[in-house]
Amino acid sequence: MGKYAVKRILLMLMTLFVITFMCFVLIRMLPLAELPIGDPHSDVIEARREAAGYNKPYLVQFGFFLRNIFTKWDWGVSDVLYFGQEVADIFVSKLPATMVVNLYSIIFSIPIGIILGIFAAIKKNSWIDHTISTLTMVCISVPSFVYAFIIQYFLSYKLGWFPFLMKSGTNFFTWSMFVSMLPAVISLSMGVIAGFTRTTRAELTEVLTSEFMLLARTKGLTRTQATVRHAMKNCMVVVLPSIFGQFISIMSGSLIIEKIFSVPGVGQLYLNSINGRDYPMFTMLVVFYTSVSLAASIVVDISYGFIDPRIRMGSKK
Amino acid sequence: MMKNKKFLALVLASTMVVSLTGCGGDSNKQTTQGSTEPTTSSTTQSTTSTQGGDTSDQEYVYKDAVSVLSANWNPHTYQTVDDGYLLNYIACGFYEPVYNDELHPVEGLEPYAGYKFIPSMAASDPVDVTEKIKAEHPEFGIPESASEGYAYTIDLNQQAQWADGTPINADSYIYSMKELLNPKANNYRATDFYNGEFVIAGAEAYANSGKRKFQINSEDGETMAYALADLVKGEDGTYSTAEGYPVFFGLNENYAWMGGKSLNDYHTSGHISDEVWNVLSEAADAQNYCPVTDDTIAALYQFTGSDTWGNEPQEQLGYYMSVAVSYYPEVDFSSVGLFKSGDYQITIVFSNSLSGFNLYYNLSTPTWLVKEDLYEANKKINGEAYSSTYNSSVETSSSYGPYKLVEFQSDKALRLEKNENWFGYTDGQHTYKDPTDGQVYDMWQSTAIECQVVAESATHKMMFLKGELMTYGLGADDFDTYRNSEYAFATPKTTTFFFIINGYMDAIKNREASSDFDKTKYDLETMTLKSFKQALAVTYDKELFAGTISPSRKGGYGLIGTTYVYNPSTGAKYRDTDQARQVLCDFYSVDTSKFSSLEEAVKSITGFDPEEAKVLYKQAFDEALAAGFITDQDGDGISDQTVRIEYAMSTDPNDFLTKTINYLNEKMKEVTAGTPFDGKIEFVMSANYGNEWSNKLRSGLADTALAGWSGSSMNPFDVIRLYTNGTDQQYDGKWFDASKVDMTLELNGESITMNLRQWSEALLGTTITKDGKDYNFGEAFADVDTRLTILASLEGQILQTYNYIPMLEDASMGLLTQQAYYVVDDFSPLMSRGGIQYLKYNYSESEWAAYVTEQGGELKY
Repeated sequence: MGKYAVKRILLMLMTLFVITFMCFVLIRMLPLAELPIGDPHSDVIEARREAAGYNKPYLVQFGFFLRNIFTKWDWGVSDVLYFGQEVADIFVSKLPATMVVNLYSIIFSIPIGIILGIFAAIKKNSWIDHTISTLTMVCISVPSFVYAFIIQYFLSYKLGWFPFLMKSGTNFFTWSMFVSMLPAVISLSMGVIAGFTRTTRAELTEVLTSEFMLLARTKGLTRTQATVRHAMKNCMVVVLPSIFGQFISIMSGSLIIEKIFSVPGVGQLYLNSINGRDYPMFTMLVVFYTSVSLAASIVVDISYGFIDPRIRMGSKK
Repeated sequence: MMKNKKFLALVLASTMVVSLTGCGGDSNKQTTQGSTEPTTSSTTQSTTSTQGGDTSDQEYVYKDAVSVLSANWNPHTYQTVDDGYLLNYIACGFYEPVYNDELHPVEGLEPYAGYKFIPSMAASDPVDVTEKIKAEHPEFGIPESASEGYAYTIDLNQQAQWADGTPINADSYIYSMKELLNPKANNYRATDFYNGEFVIAGAEAYANSGKRKFQINSEDGETMAYALADLVKGEDGTYSTAEGYPVFFGLNENYAWMGGKSLNDYHTSGHISDEVWNVLSEAADAQNYCPVTDDTIAALYQFTGSDTWGNEPQEQLGYYMSVAVSYYPEVDFSSVGLFKSGDYQITIVFSNSLSGFNLYYNLSTPTWLVKEDLYEANKKINGEAYSSTYNSSVETSSSYGPYKLVEFQSDKALRLEKNENWFGYTDGQHTYKDPTDGQVYDMWQSTAIECQVVAESATHKMMFLKGELMTYGLGADDFDTYRNSEYAFATPKTTTFFFIINGYMDAIKNREASSDFDKTKYDLETMTLKSFKQALAVTYDKELFAGTISPSRKGGYGLIGTTYVYNPSTGAKYRDTDQARQVLCDFYSVDTSKFSSLEEAVKSITGFDPEEAKVLYKQAFDEALAAGFITDQDGDGISDQTVRIEYAMSTDPNDFLTKTINYLNEKMKEVTAGTPFDGKIEFVMSANYGNEWSNKLRSGLADTALAGWSGSSMNPFDVIRLYTNGTDQQYDGKWFDASKVDMTLELNGESITMNLRQWSEALLGTTITKDGKDYNFGEAFADVDTRLTILASLEGQILQTYNYIPMLEDASMGLLTQQAYYVVDDFSPLMSRGGIQYLKYNYSESEWAAYVTEQGGELKY
């Protein structure tokens, strides 16, 4: 397993390098933001681009890019959105808010989603199952921003239980901050809960009808014992990796939810950097999220081996 | 069993951790909230404050919301209006406009009927020293004939200081300007000091010192912009173009026609001998541009004229040339017309005359000051690129204005509190006499300003109704509910939105020739007919159009809107002059004899005449048929083709644009009913062109859009140049050349004929020579009545092209909180409603919280 992990990590680094190179060149090939014709500031901006090396050959630019990262951990300076500021600093300053909101969302969603899924599976084809399944479909189908507006209108405006927007500041673990995050957390959680419920229900339903479950019951285990000891364990082979998958999204944030509840996170950075053609910012985001995705895929693959002892990756036998 | 318990225990523990972290943080709440975190919700803050008792009754917080928060408010580099937000509070100008109340009287004006400039960062009015500077500093190039308006000394306010108490003196201004114009920094705001009205002598030369912009003389290896024989030899032996642009051989220039290779490549490969190369490289500068001289010509020809290079004739050396189309020799800061003339005095020298209102107006914007120690600490030089994080966070900011930044979270919120070191709180000048109660009050009653990002309009409205924000801009859906509210305020704006109608026939023909254009079904050419444009101009009821798509706006009738003031001292507006009224009456064919006055005649204009439109559409049909633009093969008198007018979209379809297109098509269908274009004219949305939308219009690749110009609200004479100057700003520049249209005016008993561009330039102070006689109708050379006549005539001429069809005048309407009120209700172009300095509170924060609660938590407007 260790050998397999090392091999995957090396392959990941190679893949990351290739993707980074491709993205960097493709991004630099994109046309720079058009400058207003006749505006005297256009010449100044052109001169800045020249000084920043935009007119040098792509390979030279990529060389500078790598050199700066490896020697100074310098990912470049934002030239549009946060003029003159280090893109890495901007990103790091925004990541915590996104992570905290999404983390709360997942922490709430996992137990609720799994418990609802278990209930639906155990009570298959009963009114409970039908109700949960219907609500699950509704939650999955309706976009999260719809919940966001409904929650903001009723819970914040009509009932006054929560503030309209997330509290400003960086003390994320205060009660007032937690309360201010709840509308965003609830909005984000609806879809995640529904996802876990559906996955758990589907897997558990299948496992519960397996022959080994019949064997477990014939050995004298109660229904609960058989479900918890055997069915749940098998069901988790699918459910747990999906939890890892959800963690990846923790860092990417939600564009709409962050906008509506004024979460100062990274959700809007991607889109803004593309729309604003802030290429240093966009390049860093692409490299970061590529790294996270590649790392997560390794973690998910390796996790199978821990969750289910029957799965042995990288083994020659 | 044990493992299941562990799993459940883990879930339970996770939940508890979340709860505990939340609870644990609560103990810090009272200490951290007030000191380090801006409050997101003012209701929460007010409630907390009331309960905690940590806010006095004297706290007045201006609670603002924006959709985009400032990211960079460095006065040298900020680019957008959003970024400039903070400078309004943490900086100030040399002078400051205030209402002419009884404390700041202006002779001949009633209180609050106008404005007055008071010294702010300056200690007194500027002193004109043109004659002295002209004699002592000939390098600034003040014209011999000039005796005033070119140079001023400004005594600086000795009480001015940074928020930390650091004094601001003449050195501060000189350092800051030197950094601003630093040629290596390429600061975005540098051009503000050498373009437009406020042009400091030598600023452009210093900011671009040593910079050149090259244009390759031959892109294709077949044609040359400049022939070798046409070059002019200078005294130093170097050649230039006839316009004076220096010419070079670019040794490292990669020529497309040489397969992307440079002369250097051919030297490396051995084609160019060392002997030739040494002559060229020794003459070349650091950027490997070698001046064209007799020696370098001879050296390069030694190579190009040789057998190895194909015996090219000498004149073909022009293919290897690059022309420095802009060339700035290296100069130092002493060449800039800004210098210290005392510890607390600076002297500014302008390149053109600036005086009166425009001088004070330009000096009333926040100055270029930066705090030296902070600026240096945050300056970064990475290779050739300069950048700075100055004024991008609390730590990197310093204030010399009425407020200082105390909290800032990027893309989220900021908080400003009073800068106790600001001189204005104690100088006795920043007070006003309330016109309602006659008492004297200090300006800037707000003790703090909180601004947060609220992206959604719906959220903004709910927060406003809960008392958490001070203002709310009304959307179309709010008008019926709030337009008559006593808290509603209409704010006129300078922009007149017009439909630019495509007349660029070459581009249209190309589009029609495209394989995916079905000529049997659609037509574009008809829209270029004047009769068609005239019909369009009377197809829409402009007031109804405004009321339908954007109720805060109103119908637009002229190119220059109703807010433009031509006389800043009296506030007199261009649109109220007889000349401007007559233009509209002429354009809309109003019989003025039927009205008691021109004012009444103008009031009757709706711009809507469906009967006339039908006649014009019939005329356009006949002309289009005759020209072969459209067909009528079945002879039913109806066009076989639909005239398709593409609306250039700058964004994805939104409510405003959808309503606009729907309205245009709906009303077009009504008006064209029974005409040859019945159901045969349609407006369609283009793809989202983003910022390129205006270039698409100018190049004829899109056909129309609601476009307009804003700014120069106190100088309408400056606006008309945008329709005549022939630069890339002019929307119809590809199909309307103002320099080829003559206009004759009888002025002061003299009949003068010039083309439209010349008239426009003369109006802005350029001397135009015509038949051996000089004409200049700039502010300093012609009386205002003459200038108005010229302006109105130009406007009339442009309108008659029907390339622009005025549709809307911009305006907005908003609600102001019940917590405060404007001391002066009436809007004025310069003062608006006085801004936050004239905002007076009805309730302090604690009183406001109690009031909102008393109202059930939701306020009625």
